[in-house]
Amino acid sequence: MATFKFPWNPFDPGDPGPCIKFSVTRYVDETEYGTSIGLEYPEPPIPTALIDTGSPFTIISKVLAKNCNLSLTNPTFPIRTMNGDCECEEYCGSISFPGSGLPRIAAARILARDFYKESSYACIIGRNILKRWDIRFDGQNRMVTIKA
Amino acid sequence: MTVASPLETELRVFEAHRWEWAQSHPGKFVVIREENIVKFFDEYEDAFRAGIRQFGADRNFLIKQVWKTEPVYFVA
Repeated sequence: MATFKFPWNPFDPGDPGPCIKFSVTRYVDETEYGTSIGLEYPEPPIPTALIDTGSPFTIISKVLAKNCNLSLTNPTFPIRTMNGDCECEEYCGSISFPGSGLPRIAAARILARDFYKESSYACIIGRNILKRWDIRFDGQNRMVTIKA
Repeated sequence: MTVASPLETELRVFEAHRWEWAQSHPGKFVVIREENIVKFFDEYEDAFRAGIRQFGADRNFLIKQVWKTEPVYFVA
């Protein structure tokens, strides 16, 4: 079991929330097959993701989904936010967490929407990922621990 | 000339069967490519793997969870 600890101060007004580095790529079997027939895949970007227990799904920006060439599995997926309803696209991809030691998730359901205001992160890690982890917040020491 | 939206045919097939499937496979994930319906699955990830096996990595296919009406999930 891998353990990853990082600091988070919820009392800092400038802190966007508990964040972790992540990368998303096409489903691992697809890239392995592609590599075997000579295709080359660029190194994925490593943006920052917000860990969000309030989101049932993992959500990335549409720009990132298209740049990473993820597999579209549903072009219209409605969600409701505090700002109102919006349409997402649904993709399947592999998610990893570079530098954390946490295991890669080979196939994950990923929604994509426009991110206008959230400049601190390009992804929301939702409960479809969190359900695989034991995640705790130590308020006295202001540390987040993820075990997976 | 109009350009077809991605997975438009598959969404039409799904809507044509939605009511029937909501009775027989509520909450399951169905995989559809053009007019072909692969199977129903308990988990989204299993449905995706089956779609890849059936249609290959370079073709899009639809995965939809079967409900009578489209649920709208709340993101806080």
